[in-house]
Amino acid sequence: MRNGLLSDFVVTIICWVWFTLGFILFFSWRYVAAVLFAHETESSIQRLNSRFYQVLFRIIRVTAPNHTWEIDEQVAAIRSAVIVCNHLSYLDPLLLIALLERHRTIVKTRFFTMPIFGWVLKKAGYLPASGKGQFAGMMIDQLESMKSFLQRGGNLFIFPEGTRSRDGKIGNLNRGALKIARLCNAPVYVLQLANTDKLFTPGKFLFNTRITNTISLKIIDCIQPTHPDNMPSTAILEQRVLKAYRKQQK
Amino acid sequence: MKRDVLQEKILTILVDDFEFVQPGLDDNLRDDHGFDSIDAIELLGKIEGILGLALTREEKEKAMEIRTINDILDYIELIESSRTT
Repeated sequence: MRNGLLSDFVVTIICWVWFTLGFILFFSWRYVAAVLFAHETESSIQRLNSRFYQVLFRIIRVTAPNHTWEIDEQVAAIRSAVIVCNHLSYLDPLLLIALLERHRTIVKTRFFTMPIFGWVLKKAGYLPASGKGQFAGMMIDQLESMKSFLQRGGNLFIFPEGTRSRDGKIGNLNRGALKIARLCNAPVYVLQLANTDKLFTPGKFLFNTRITNTISLKIIDCIQPTHPDNMPSTAILEQRVLKAYRKQQK
Repeated sequence: MKRDVLQEKILTILVDDFEFVQPGLDDNLRDDHGFDSIDAIELLGKIEGILGLALTREEKEKAMEIRTINDILDYIELIESSRTT
């Protein structure tokens, strides 16, 4: 038991070392270079975010071998889509960033005010959850450029429940992602993520490396626009997404 | 454009495109109809269509503070009057 806890502690510390020292030593200067010299700053920053978290997940895979990963290869191949996914752990957005090199997502507004992290979020083209006050301009810019971003192969991924599920069941959906899909006439991919909460449990500080667990990510539905200019209503999209999740829960 | 004509157009848009059910002029758009920043930006595109002009960045930012349908009508009238003076 004590060895297990020690293992949890060591893995957690290694991950935090990567988050802090790893960022400073191996990535901070790349971000600065991307801002100063890259032809397309936003996509360069997104790519760097993706690489940074790819390394994090390699570290986790090596240091926590009791957890196996079954990631549908088709997920990384998704392009030009709005992706919705259930939310179980803080690892979830990091996993999708690692898998999807060209991505945008919606982030809690308060994170944009944090030093360094907030700057990276802005430069990556991520959207604040609220468009009020000082964030109105940023929201307008990101939404007005969303259609061309998606058309150029980018993906917008969102956790429509807004918060992590504590019982694994799908909660109420925020319709923002579906509204954007309609606005941009983009397909909606519905992803099902399982068991990331067993590795990094909500409310816990340490990773749980002791249990044998399989983390999986798969596509459970894809809603294509029925006609180039005729997306289903937001209510219909929401029903279809919920139906896909409920089918998985049976 | 007269306010009652404008009101009818906006109500039609809110019902047809934003799935509002029985909208009231002083309803809170967010709390009563789930109208958020994304909807606001979509609506701005439709307002540009009604007015036949492109809104400036400042005008769009101002629209993000709109709370009610009456606010939308006031906003459009303000834009119209500022463009005609």
